[in-house]
Amino acid sequence: MSANRWLATGNFFATYKEEQRIFLTHLDRAVFVLFIAVLFTWPIFFELSNKYMLVINNILIAMVAIIGLNLVTGFAGLISIGHAAFVGVGAYTLASICQVIGYDHVAVTHAWPAMILLCGIVGAAFGAFAGLPALRLKHLYLAIATLSFQMIFEWVIHHTSFFNQGQTIFVGRVYWFTGQVGRSEHYFFWYYVCLVTLVLLGLSVRNLLRSRYGRCLVAVRDNDRAADAMGMSPGFTKVYAFGLAGFLAGIAGGLHAYMYRGVGIESFTLHQSIQYLAMAIVGGLGTLNGSFWGPAAIKLLDLQVENLAELAGKVLTSHLSLATALRPLTFGLVIVLFLMFEPRGIANWWRIVKSYFKLWPFRY
Amino acid sequence: MTYFLQLVVSGVVVGSIYALSALGFVLIYKSSRVLNIAHGQIIAAGAFITYALTVFLGIPIFISFLCSMVITFFLAMSVERVFLRRLIGEPIISVIMVTIGLMSILDGLIYLSPFGSNNYSFPAFLPETPLNFAGVSISWTQLVGVLITAVLISAFSWFFNRSTVGISMRAVSDDQFASMSIGISVPRVFGLAWAMAGLSAAAAGGIIGNITGLNFETLHAYGIIVFPVVILGGLDSVGGAVVAGIIMGLIQQFAAGYLDGNWGLSGTANVLPYIILLIILLFKPHGLFGTHEIERV
Repeated sequence: MSANRWLATGNFFATYKEEQRIFLTHLDRAVFVLFIAVLFTWPIFFELSNKYMLVINNILIAMVAIIGLNLVTGFAGLISIGHAAFVGVGAYTLASICQVIGYDHVAVTHAWPAMILLCGIVGAAFGAFAGLPALRLKHLYLAIATLSFQMIFEWVIHHTSFFNQGQTIFVGRVYWFTGQVGRSEHYFFWYYVCLVTLVLLGLSVRNLLRSRYGRCLVAVRDNDRAADAMGMSPGFTKVYAFGLAGFLAGIAGGLHAYMYRGVGIESFTLHQSIQYLAMAIVGGLGTLNGSFWGPAAIKLLDLQVENLAELAGKVLTSHLSLATALRPLTFGLVIVLFLMFEPRGIANWWRIVKSYFKLWPFRY
Repeated sequence: MTYFLQLVVSGVVVGSIYALSALGFVLIYKSSRVLNIAHGQIIAAGAFITYALTVFLGIPIFISFLCSMVITFFLAMSVERVFLRRLIGEPIISVIMVTIGLMSILDGLIYLSPFGSNNYSFPAFLPETPLNFAGVSISWTQLVGVLITAVLISAFSWFFNRSTVGISMRAVSDDQFASMSIGISVPRVFGLAWAMAGLSAAAAGGIIGNITGLNFETLHAYGIIVFPVVILGGLDSVGGAVVAGIIMGLIQQFAAGYLDGNWGLSGTANVLPYIILLIILLFKPHGLFGTHEIERV
């Protein structure tokens, strides 16, 4: 431990416990607390239009989902091409409750935190079920298993009248202590809900990753035979990773359903799954802060692509919708270019910037 | 009984197309262990190139069919060259994710072309009246499609069993180091595997386009239905892909013929392959003919 608790240029760990700390210096902790405080206070001072508030909420929800995807793909090393389906399981849990007891039943509008938690639990159950082939198979086959889960999910939603054949199922407005959350403060309210959920889940996943179970995930990813020899059960670790990913995805689905006040299949298709994968790759697989960079980068890129398509649509006046073409094109390019030139994602840039400031004025 | 036979006939027609689509997929997997998730897009590209050559340039359909096979051959080869060549030696997960990105890119490019949003159908070049055998009918396009598929599949199996290039491809899939040591260029074989896959995908696309009409969503779906087929047949078995393709076609037709409409079910043909896929993964992951080399976790 260096003498200065605020700045540390090198590593002075004397115990493993010191190395496992989340914040290495007081400065790190202070910056983090300040950052969270800014996140909580800025909407009070700046009024943003609903359109941008929606984008920001979307980013936060995607971050929750991507933490899950990063656990399964980044930390446990299993490709999941069905993550949108797990988010969908969460959202459709809420939708089916709304179908049974009505969309403005007290349970839906007042007990919404419990509902979101329930979405997460159902998501975890489905995640663990879809991960069951992991008991016998390795990554390649698992990718196909998740893909088929995605296809089965879409089919079930499209072909059951209970789920309204994939058309929108309404979810009622929620109540807070001050009464019903109205139209004007809807996105404002859900910004805070998403933010609180994200901070809580982010911190708990950070803690999980430095526990025995988190190290288990990484050990199984790096070499499952060695992990087996050291007394871990690779199969169950993988199922467990899928369950955790399902839980986070389910929570994201519940938030999504409440924020849009409706559930429709178009948010949970294969394209969406690929967009989630793009987010995880761009952010940086196997790093927790990558799960925050990725969704922000991709969603903002998405916004720019939409603007560009609108602009180009005015100039070209062509009959085809440019947005549907440009969107997959940019996502595909982003995935491929990042994998080829920066496989460690934006999280790596963040690491470089951080070490630059840490070492300044020296080069290394 | 006639109904049953009719289902068998259409099952074999659909199944042989599946077999042809799965063939290219298996080729890439067999030589380089890469799951090509963008296969459906290559099929679609082949179909659209055939259509563009036939209708926009007015080339006779059989020649444009061959031309599109050649074009897609080089297209797939350059895809391998540009995107996958530099990833040799990287973890297989990132290679698979590159093909996911590739799928997205090709999606975008096809949406940019007029084929992304509209439906097209090939001009009829065969007799319109279907053939009839004791109540079982088969259209001329379907019959010709099945014949072309059969010819192509036997050409492919001759290529793998007899020709030097085919044997070197099999050698690479068996042991990369050993084949390098006897002078086979492994990267060239990878490129060739992608090119052959593109060729068979273009053929499949052309046949599908003639039988069902050109719609991007439908063609795209063939790239995903390939997964249940190859898992059933065994990921690295060319013969397995053919058998499993026909089995899958039959299953789909029987599901559509006997399950739909009963017990409130509909569209079962679209989901049954994936359910079968999950069951096979749980109980017999190497499929019917795959090598039993899967590591148990």
